Amino acid sequence: MSDIQYTPRELLACVAARLLKDGESVFVGTGLPLVGAMLAKKLHAPNMMSIYECGAVDPQPRQLPWSVADPWTLYQAPVILSMSSVFGHSRAGYADVGFLGGAQIDMYGNINATCIGPYEKPTVRLTGSGGANDIASLCQRVIFMGLHLPQRFPERVDYITTPGFLDGPGARERAGLVGGGPWRVISHLGVMGFDEETCRMKLLSYHPGVTIEVIQEFTGFELLVDQDVHETEKPTEEELYILRNEVDPCQLFCF
Amino acid sequence: MPHANERLFDHQFAREWKLKKSRAEKDKRMPLSDAIAQFVEDGDSIIETGFAYVRGPLGAYWEIGRQKKKDLVGIFTPGGLNNVWHEFGGMEGAHVAYVGVEMRGLISTFRRGVEAGTLKVYSEWSHGGLALALRAAEQGLNYVACKSMLGTDIIKTNPYIKVENDPWTGEPVCLVPAIYPDVAIFHVHHADKYGNSRIWGASVNDTAIAVAARKVVVTCERIVDTLDIRSNPYQVVIPHYCVDAVCEVPFGAWPGDMPGMYYFDRRLQERVVRIEWKTPEATKNWIEKYIYGTKDVYEMIQLAAEEEGMNVLDYVKRLEQLACDAAFYNLGSWGIGGERDWRYEEVAKRAI
Repeated sequence: MSDIQYTPRELLACVAARLLKDGESVFVGTGLPLVGAMLAKKLHAPNMMSIYECGAVDPQPRQLPWSVADPWTLYQAPVILSMSSVFGHSRAGYADVGFLGGAQIDMYGNINATCIGPYEKPTVRLTGSGGANDIASLCQRVIFMGLHLPQRFPERVDYITTPGFLDGPGARERAGLVGGGPWRVISHLGVMGFDEETCRMKLLSYHPGVTIEVIQEFTGFELLVDQDVHETEKPTEEELYILRNEVDPCQLFCF
Repeated sequence: MPHANERLFDHQFAREWKLKKSRAEKDKRMPLSDAIAQFVEDGDSIIETGFAYVRGPLGAYWEIGRQKKKDLVGIFTPGGLNNVWHEFGGMEGAHVAYVGVEMRGLISTFRRGVEAGTLKVYSEWSHGGLALALRAAEQGLNYVACKSMLGTDIIKTNPYIKVENDPWTGEPVCLVPAIYPDVAIFHVHHADKYGNSRIWGASVNDTAIAVAARKVVVTCERIVDTLDIRSNPYQVVIPHYCVDAVCEVPFGAWPGDMPGMYYFDRRLQERVVRIEWKTPEATKNWIEKYIYGTKDVYEMIQLAAEEEGMNVLDYVKRLEQLACDAAFYNLGSWGIGGERDWRYEEVAKRAI
């Protein structure tokens, strides 16, 4: 088993898929979350229900969608709603997990998808929230996926597009947010969670070949380390087979 | 004329305008160029419909550029490709929930405009927040109280929304006002000549937008008999009384996706996003060749086909073969086979 070959993105997709449980509803953002959700559904979570912001609920896509509104996210969906409805249903309590990407995430799990640098004169103007803010505001728990670099994991993000724990314990409640907030962060170096008391990001597992020191080096703030920290399990042959042959055969995302 | 932003939340102005619209079943068919000339005015706010690059009225957006409309204000939820006009004087500002093409990245024309300060961002939104602003307009509400955007910098960079305490529970809620864009252009699968519009796939915000917007243009893959619409009204998302013009534009969502009919022109989109619009000079060359150098979407498709060394019919057939299996959309009384043959003929006729 030790000589299984895989790319960093394939590892990300497999780790992401494992975090989704059968029978859950998952509000899926674009990019790697699409891959993770589709992989989970083909492996251990056939009864996982996916929700997309274009209004599609529980499709059975035969191929990887290019967009969250791609007709493949509608394929064999039993119902197609509107954008305000799917977010409304999430607020009502029908979305367990929100699954997102973004440019920057900080120690409290706040996500920036709006701009790098000052808002008035940005060095890079990004896309803006899209559905990410709503997903993280309204779903019960949130998984974030992204590249792990110091500037992408700063102490505070340049602009809070999507709420994590804002400025620490109790802040979500004070702001009036309903969902439980960030739960897991998957990067190409490791898997992080959040400390219950301080709401700060903490390392749960490091990917094969990576050390805790390296991850700290690539993080722009002091990363807490869980007492049970361990190496992330490698992708299994089955996971990779399904990923390469059924989920992303054209290597749209996992190259 | 006051700035578009001053009309955007003016429910009385929007209502007075709609009181004057005809309710009669009136033949509203016209060529796309006439509809754009008549209903898109300089300085208008224009909202994206469909999901921007999925069932977006891109053919109409290219026509807006061709007619060199000035100083439009974009409302992007999400926003795809029509922000390109700001470098040609066509768009001066935007209200933004999302501008980009997901995994393919940012749209460099938008980036350049905002970073240089030549394209003003008047307000930031979330998709859910803007969807509720439209829904409020559709449902006849002054505003809605929601749980999105709370605690974030979106609140600080959107002058139109407010955080107040819910009078019942005392919890903070975000108040989102009803929004009334000047103009909305939709691309749909079928419309009758009065404007009743049927789609397959996700309506996203379209019903709300059609009621909220002051001026509504519908472009469609095919104009159908009104009896066809009346015999199956369940997929009709836009009622005729909202609609000012109906234009038959097969492939009107190209190079975007039309659910069940043709897939994204991925090669062209990748090329545009990653190369052709990367610098102002490259963008200008592309626009001159593809927009100013053509008279409609069919000449554009023909150019794209030539660049791939393909016959135009093979080119569109390839996009149709890639489409998500149409059999899983309820096609009403229209068989997809006949539909396809008809559209090949249309493209052949119009491209040459």
